[in-house]
Amino acid sequence: MPLSADERDELQSSARGLLARDSSSDRVRAVVADGPGFDRDLWHQMVELGWTSIHVAEQFGGAGAGYGDLAVVLHELGRAIVPAPFLASAVLASSALTLADNDALATELLAALVAGESLAAVAFASADGSYQLSRLTTTWERAASSVRLHGSAGFVLDADVADVLVVAARDSDGIPALLAVERAAPGVRVERAATVDATRRLFSVSFDGVVVGNDRLLCEPGARTEEVLGQILAVGMIAAACDAAGVTEQALERAADYANERVQFGKPIGSFQAVKHHCANAAIAVEASRAATRAAAEALDGDPGDWSTTAAVTASYVGPACSEACALALRVHGGIGFTWEHDSHLYLKRAKLDEVLFGTPSWHRRRLADAVIGSFEQQEVRQS
Amino acid sequence: MHEPGGTLEDLRRRVREWCATHVPKGWRDQQRGVSHADLIEFLRWWGGELREAGLLAPHLPKEWGGGFSIAEQVVIAEELARGDAPRNALYHVALFNVAPTLIHNATTAQREHFLTGILSGDVWCQGFSEPNAGSDLASLSTRAVRDGDNFVVTGQKVWTSWAMAADWCMLLVRTDPDAPKHKGISCLVVDMRSPGIEVRPIKQATGSADFNELFIDGVVVPVDNLIGAENNGWAVAQGTLAAERAIVVLEMTERLRRNGIEAAFTEAARWRLDGGEPALSDSTVREMLAECHADAEVLRHMLNALIADIIRGADVGGPSAVIKVFYSELLYKLMRYVTALQGVAGQLAHPLLECSGWETGDWMIDYVHSFGWIIGGGTNEIMRNVIAERMLGLPRS
Repeated sequence: MPLSADERDELQSSARGLLARDSSSDRVRAVVADGPGFDRDLWHQMVELGWTSIHVAEQFGGAGAGYGDLAVVLHELGRAIVPAPFLASAVLASSALTLADNDALATELLAALVAGESLAAVAFASADGSYQLSRLTTTWERAASSVRLHGSAGFVLDADVADVLVVAARDSDGIPALLAVERAAPGVRVERAATVDATRRLFSVSFDGVVVGNDRLLCEPGARTEEVLGQILAVGMIAAACDAAGVTEQALERAADYANERVQFGKPIGSFQAVKHHCANAAIAVEASRAATRAAAEALDGDPGDWSTTAAVTASYVGPACSEACALALRVHGGIGFTWEHDSHLYLKRAKLDEVLFGTPSWHRRRLADAVIGSFEQQEVRQS
Repeated sequence: MHEPGGTLEDLRRRVREWCATHVPKGWRDQQRGVSHADLIEFLRWWGGELREAGLLAPHLPKEWGGGFSIAEQVVIAEELARGDAPRNALYHVALFNVAPTLIHNATTAQREHFLTGILSGDVWCQGFSEPNAGSDLASLSTRAVRDGDNFVVTGQKVWTSWAMAADWCMLLVRTDPDAPKHKGISCLVVDMRSPGIEVRPIKQATGSADFNELFIDGVVVPVDNLIGAENNGWAVAQGTLAAERAIVVLEMTERLRRNGIEAAFTEAARWRLDGGEPALSDSTVREMLAECHADAEVLRHMLNALIADIIRGADVGGPSAVIKVFYSELLYKLMRYVTALQGVAGQLAHPLLECSGWETGDWMIDYVHSFGWIIGGGTNEIMRNVIAERMLGLPRS
């Protein structure tokens, strides 16, 4: 059951309160500088508040609420630029297990994920960061009662802290498969690919003849796997957009505060229209992104047949709009906004990563065009 | 006759069926290049069709021919757009600006008199802007001097849409020149047949002339035609029009989706790029059109959120300004992209089509026309000030 409007407001204010206290930008800077790259104490609080269970079905130990509610948390995590394996584990991996067909496996793994006792990640991009199945660089082959994995996947979020990796691979005929693999299994190698945005951690994961049992297949290889992978990608695109909307909302608030406080020529700089209009343009992007991401998250609680187009619409608009708004917010700060000490660059870098994390805006738009043109053709067929 | 109540699906089906049988076939071709008199006659006829169907004023209270919930109004607006109904342009000011203002501010007698007229086909115009009071509207200087039971009004207005066909004008005048500028303005209703009124059409950049200069020379207006209190005209004019405006933009967004973006996808299959390939097979072209499509979807989500906020009674001054800017910049962007894609063939001139809204199919003219929305109703630059001041709390410029 989705949360009521009041419950959702409460979720939002408790999330905002916790993160303002325990994930200030000073704290974020300290956390990413050393250790596992995230704050385990904060993570346990997030688990206790039930954030890892929100959209997971009750049969798997979740709260059985929905993506519309999960989006509230994602937005707040973005606002506070929280470094945490939430997107990797609680969103992508949990969704993959929930959406696929291997209920025994889902039952086994999700309980620990929801309880925060283990972490998971999803490796479904090619080594060069493409989400087109035909370009996957992880391969699989059948061997007796098991599957062997070769090759590598790129740009995998939080792979080093994951206990389980959900891996997409294609065989020599191009048939895709989706498997759950222990990160500690022999032949799995995880290597950090440091990114300019330090609040997110990406890895390349390679597989050297890794043996995986057939019972670890999340669903039937082929068309069904392709469908599930498309759904996981849609969830990722919408989650990244929710994050970007939160990041940008915070960047805008900081810029507006600065424009009100900073005095030049005897007035607050926010009274100059050049500054004011930068802020207004960022506010338009934030309003639109908030509306778009809320609607998209609600759509994830509806017919999965619509997810791909919804995600393409959302990513086409939100990614570029938010990164541009964060750029404006940085510019409003003038010289101070260009310093390492100031937080503007943290927001900008995270929004820029969100913009391309699950494909470029250009790719999202081309896929959207394909869908729009396809829907016209269907209408014509129906009418004739 | 459509009535409020019942299910939304049922209303949608009925309005769709009504459009299929009542929207005149081929009106877009027939109305191209017609004289202004013929255009006005066509729009009067179309307004009458809507009135008979009960679709003229769904946003007004039930006693004034409406009573439809906001959700029902959304359905009606969507279906009129989807059915490619002519835009009810001639009555737009009367129905969406004047009528709600009267309902909120007029006396019972005024409402009875003027709203009855609006519902039986009176055309209204709105005399707000002046040559020296555009973005700074509150500095307007058209004077109204009290003389017994009358005001005597002298001044000049500009950008007055449909003044040449109007029966009435809702006019902002200065009644107290000594008060601070927002506090000395009153709102009057002026009979457009009064001696001393002169209307001169202004030809717009598109070549059409549906707005005008309005010269007012010693026009006598009865005190009974004062709307709201004397010197309270600024508040009257700024009244609670948010819901009506949101529905208007929603209808225009649906028209933009259908007649703008969908049409661009369809036509791009026919356009040839310089190299001879169909524009739609070019990935950059597909990206540009998809960008507009995504923007329009996002605008619909924003409108849905705005309408929900209006129903909840939230202050939507800032978000309404966001939507005005977003819609008009999207309209402009689509026309800018399409005119660039069409190449020189898109520069050929055709007789004007003036009653379809902003998507006539003549992309170059539509491109020029799009500035009307960027500038009209408060320029987007002023709107950005409003957004920054109301939503972000920045100081006034």
